[in-house]
Amino acid sequence: MNPTLLSPEGLSGLVFLGLVAVTICGAVIATAAKRLIRCLTGLVACFMGVAGLYYYLGSPFVAMMQLLIYVGAIAIVIAFGIMLAEPDEAKLVKKKSGLSGVLSLIAGSAVAWGLAVAALRADWMSPAVKLNDGSVRDVGMSLLTTYSMVFELVSVVLLVAILGSLALARTGRDKE
Amino acid sequence: MLFAPELVLLLGSLLLFFLSLGESDGKGARNVTILLGLAGFVLSIITLFQEGSLFMGAYRIDLFSQLFKVLIAVGMTCVVIFDGEMKGISARMRPEYYLFLTLSCMGLMLLVSSVELITMFVALELSSYSLYLMVPMRDDTGGIRFQMEAAIKYILFGIIATGAMLYGMSYLFGLTGSTHLEVVVPKIIELSASSPAAILGIALFMFGFFYKLAVFPFHFWVPDVYEGAANSTTAFIASVPKLGAVAILIRLVVMVGPTGGDALVNLLIVLALCSMFYGNLSALVQTDVKRMLGFSGISHAGYVLLGLLTLKDSGFATSIYYIAGYLVMNLACFLVICKVSKNGENVSIDDLSGLHQRAPLLALTLGVGMFALAGIPPFVGFMGKFMLLTGAYKAGHLTLVILAALNTAIAIYYYLSVVRIAFCNDPDERPSVSVDPMTKLVSVFLMVVIIAMGVAPAKVLELATTAVRSIL
Repeated sequence: MNPTLLSPEGLSGLVFLGLVAVTICGAVIATAAKRLIRCLTGLVACFMGVAGLYYYLGSPFVAMMQLLIYVGAIAIVIAFGIMLAEPDEAKLVKKKSGLSGVLSLIAGSAVAWGLAVAALRADWMSPAVKLNDGSVRDVGMSLLTTYSMVFELVSVVLLVAILGSLALARTGRDKE
Repeated sequence: MLFAPELVLLLGSLLLFFLSLGESDGKGARNVTILLGLAGFVLSIITLFQEGSLFMGAYRIDLFSQLFKVLIAVGMTCVVIFDGEMKGISARMRPEYYLFLTLSCMGLMLLVSSVELITMFVALELSSYSLYLMVPMRDDTGGIRFQMEAAIKYILFGIIATGAMLYGMSYLFGLTGSTHLEVVVPKIIELSASSPAAILGIALFMFGFFYKLAVFPFHFWVPDVYEGAANSTTAFIASVPKLGAVAILIRLVVMVGPTGGDALVNLLIVLALCSMFYGNLSALVQTDVKRMLGFSGISHAGYVLLGLLTLKDSGFATSIYYIAGYLVMNLACFLVICKVSKNGENVSIDDLSGLHQRAPLLALTLGVGMFALAGIPPFVGFMGKFMLLTGAYKAGHLTLVILAALNTAIAIYYYLSVVRIAFCNDPDERPSVSVDPMTKLVSVFLMVVIIAMGVAPAKVLELATTAVRSIL
């Protein structure tokens, strides 16, 4: 039988649906808004919703990282970018003609439908196989044992990203 | 010792980093990079027949991975040598340019050895980020900044492909509960006959590497990036990362097992045909040599898929043989482009007029490279295409073989018209081209390899087959 709305399962389902709604609304705003800064706020809402989903799934650490990195750093960098670039308010994003909208809707829903059908029909690993409790301790343990290679490699990737942005920014604004 | 080739490149990139801190014209960095390439080559050869597992099973050394590392090191060394005067690379960024080139090669070497999904992803990103950064480092001579446009397109398409790849990985992880290939592969082979999610996961995972290999419909970046990046950068992007892509595609195709996966085979057939037709027909009308080679690269990606879709170890071995051949043929053509271009500008097909008088060795290299790409005996391109087509025929794909053969005929036209212009047109006022001794050595080496692999393919093929069997 279905759990009632006020039972623990019902309430937790309500929270889940709320988080999904926040994520989807944020994504829609991010793609549909005409002003860049409004797109950004939509994006932030979307990130927050995803962070909530992580928390809901029992990974508080990942949720924190999501907030810290995506909302706290990436969204702020985009905001800086928008302010520095001074987007031309007169040139707001124009709506494309009706046909391309319809076609992209058809293509997008076909992909979403295919992925959803495959996902619903698949035999996923049973949720009982819980790898760990998602705490910082477990994340740290696996980063230094099973995923030690990745842990070391990520530092090289970050080095490349930092050096690259420095090298490009140094000469990127030469006007002579 | 097992980790030696990667370790040398890692330490070398540290050295390059220190070189990039001071004032430098890049000559020192270039010499260091050549030495690193040679050291990587020698160490990969030494470790060729060794086996081992490192980093908690996330990293495997076997013949398969070491074979690809040898090829990557060859590609890296050749590109750095024939770009002798560093034409077209912004003067202030040369040491950094070589740093990123080395790190990109290291990323690819790590990629071909990774047997764990997240390690694969991070290694791929290491190599991709470095490539993204090399594109905008072109000298901005015309002031139109179209290298920036190329770089942005490259990054954006790359991100989309990466997103699809991660989504596919999440399916594989969800179905198997592990990220280690040794656990994932047997479970997915079991599931792939019944579960559409498994096939979908593999297909989405492949998208990331189709993008690297420039398979239709992940080719949109190719013409603009080839045109916008400096000649030597394009030479690198066009040849070396494709090795890594083929290595991982083979590891992924294995997952559907020898019999299951009709859906995946059909997908590969469609993509192979689209790539061949699109690439060849678009290449017919190009006037810029780099753009033409870009479109031809799309069609060659289609040919490589012919070997994968047989789902047999002989087919995978032919794919390795073909991509190794493609590396040397492509490098031979780009060597000529880099040398003919005087200040690093793009080369149109007309600029090659009368090359046989201006630089006989380059004209010969161009001839051998183009003939090989067109698939004319006795060069490696012919043997590769021949074996791919017979392999696909034996696997029962008759229509596909006929259409692919048709494409070979289309391709001959545009490759040979380049050769015709180089040998039959008058040079008019165009100056002669000087070639330094190191480059001469490389061009002779490339020609010898192209002909040797075409005349005596058995040894290489045998090695590739043993390598493929070692991962099955």
